[in-house]
Amino acid sequence: MSSILNLFGKTPLTRRRALWGLLLIAPNTIGLFLFFGWPILQSFRISFYEWNAFNTPRFVDIENFQRLYDDPMFRKSLTNTLKLVGLVVPLEMGLSLLIALLLNQRLRGRIIFRTIYFLPVVTSTVAASIVWTFVFQRRYGLMATLLEPFGYGDLNWMVDPDLVLFPIVVVTVWQRIGFDMILFLAGLQNVPRVLHEAAMIDGANRWQRFRHVTLPMLSPTTFLVMTLATISSFQIFDQVYIMTARTIRGGVGGSARTLSLYLYESGFGQSSEYGYASAIAFILFMIILTITILQLAAQRRWVYYETESG
Amino acid sequence: MSKSKYLVVLLLGALVISGFSLSSISTPAKAQDGGAVIAPVACAEPGELTMWVWDENWGKIIGDSIAAWEEAYCPGAEVDLQVVPWGEYWDVLTANAPTGELPDVFNMAQDRFYFYAKNDVLLNLQPYWDAAGVDTTVWGTGLVDPYRWGETNDLYAGPVNWDTVAVYYNTDMFEAAGLELPTADWTWDDFAEAARALTNADEDVYGAAVYMEYQSGYPNWIAATGTTPDVEAGQTRCTLQDEGSLEALNFLKGLYDEGVMPSVSIVGGSSADDVFNYWASGRVAMITGGSWKLPDALKIEDFGWDVVQLPKHPETGRSRSILHAVGYVANRQTENADLAANLILYLVSDEGQQFFAEAGGVAPANPSPELQQMWIDSFGETEVNVQAFVDATVDSQGVTVFGEIWDAINSEIVLNIFDLGLSVEDAAQLACEFIDTQLPE
Repeated sequence: MSSILNLFGKTPLTRRRALWGLLLIAPNTIGLFLFFGWPILQSFRISFYEWNAFNTPRFVDIENFQRLYDDPMFRKSLTNTLKLVGLVVPLEMGLSLLIALLLNQRLRGRIIFRTIYFLPVVTSTVAASIVWTFVFQRRYGLMATLLEPFGYGDLNWMVDPDLVLFPIVVVTVWQRIGFDMILFLAGLQNVPRVLHEAAMIDGANRWQRFRHVTLPMLSPTTFLVMTLATISSFQIFDQVYIMTARTIRGGVGGSARTLSLYLYESGFGQSSEYGYASAIAFILFMIILTITILQLAAQRRWVYYETESG
Repeated sequence: MSKSKYLVVLLLGALVISGFSLSSISTPAKAQDGGAVIAPVACAEPGELTMWVWDENWGKIIGDSIAAWEEAYCPGAEVDLQVVPWGEYWDVLTANAPTGELPDVFNMAQDRFYFYAKNDVLLNLQPYWDAAGVDTTVWGTGLVDPYRWGETNDLYAGPVNWDTVAVYYNTDMFEAAGLELPTADWTWDDFAEAARALTNADEDVYGAAVYMEYQSGYPNWIAATGTTPDVEAGQTRCTLQDEGSLEALNFLKGLYDEGVMPSVSIVGGSSADDVFNYWASGRVAMITGGSWKLPDALKIEDFGWDVVQLPKHPETGRSRSILHAVGYVANRQTENADLAANLILYLVSDEGQQFFAEAGGVAPANPSPELQQMWIDSFGETEVNVQAFVDATVDSQGVTVFGEIWDAINSEIVLNIFDLGLSVEDAAQLACEFIDTQLPE
């Protein structure tokens, strides 16, 4: 008993403090377990069953996972998701950093600009996706009008399997850069001026100061933004669901179908294949988990925390 | 359920349904001499029921008819009627299933019926029809055959309404082009000729747009050739590569290639509503549209318009409309099966359906000529040929697609042919490859 108590501290005072701490985080921990942990475990369990809500669940071993392996639509959805991650994450990070750098200057009206760039974050994805669908409408959309002089006015953005991911990337990046910009701005304001001044005395030009002072000092923020952007890009759903709804959900031949959309369609489509959808969810979870662990492991090589020595 | 038992149920279902010929001519409305087509009976014992519908307007109409049932046929009964909007209706049903909290009576769509019947969710209403002396053949085959199930073709649903398809056309455009207005005996050739004459490429005005979606689009043209569109009755095979399907699709593709019909992306969407709105904006002269669009069309004031039956196939001489009927079904596990069946009987009876006929918009499934006339009259003093939709029920095609096919493949084949320019043969092959994966084993 005393050994368990020792886990909370060696003296009655530290034990009491530890218990208070535990008590205070209990609501969150319990909530996290009930609403995240438990459903994840249940979903994993269901992935071994054939169940459509109306039948008696039937244990099918790893049949759902074998079916995934042979399912061309799963492969297509996985490829599309990877393409979106590959396009959205660098674009989102690059643009938000660029805007943060610009708005970190002593510009006239920078508060207004910051607000404008942040507005898409508080806009509903559904509403934004609908408006962007009009922007990308063939022949009559804003994009068609803009590209008309260059001979690209008749591009079939929302239907052509080679183009359909592009509008989705644009909406996603447009909507996310505001949030990342705020993180980068906060990071930039934490870079000590003294480091810049020292570099200037050493004769570093603007680019060198950015490369050797700003970027390393910003690396914890960059790491945070990258991790968040990667996770949310793997989960892209609303934009695809809404933007392809007017023509065909998920694009012709599944050209815009993401893993999240495919799992939704499998689980909540007409045949309600909960077991199969859970198997997709589990694979998606494992992919995100693996990539996040890899990112965490790799950060030691390039992320600089100010408290570290050297 | 064991695998073998499951297969037996599937096979039996397939065999039973294949016994029907959905492509056969449906029975025209017939009333029994002097009496009601379907007469309600008093309930044996009142009780409590829950009921779900997905349409707000229907909710109100059905609410009124339930009140009349409670008063005249089942005093003391109580029905908790809820409107669960279409967007979430099926998800909420599915979410409630594992907890056993399904409503006692609820609305069903023909393409969804297969899933619920296969999973043994629904109460067999046939014994109740028999007990009440209802001859279920009073309803046209297209209305009720998709709701039949089991070894003896039992009818599991009471049909609420019927929807048919006809051609909506802009009379101003016809007159401006110096064309005679179409009549019910026009053919595909007449249609193509008019569509060409009505097209004005310089002003982005098209002659026709008649391929969108399963119910209002290309399947009507396939049906006119005598081929069952998309899926053979009984869910046995894909029919899109049959001669009739290829002929109809190539006829439409020919008009599209000539620039007489706009692409899906020009219209802006692949739904029947998209093409209707495109027509309402005056950019296309003729579209195929459902009877359910009449109330919306009657609000158009910018141009003159009318409705005519679909053109006849030049060889078969047939004009055929896809027909769909929403149904009332009961939950097999309801504690008040007799009461649920009694309520459904009332709702589909002459008395119960009168509420729909008078409200307008929704054509009552009950074939009583008085009710059908009441529905036509509900549109008021209009010059519009509403009768065309009633006439279209005579040689109609019931729904044979089901499950994911309805949602996915209809837009896919339409986009492949009428937007991405795939050949009809290639698009049909792709569609059949998908349909094959969905057919019962």
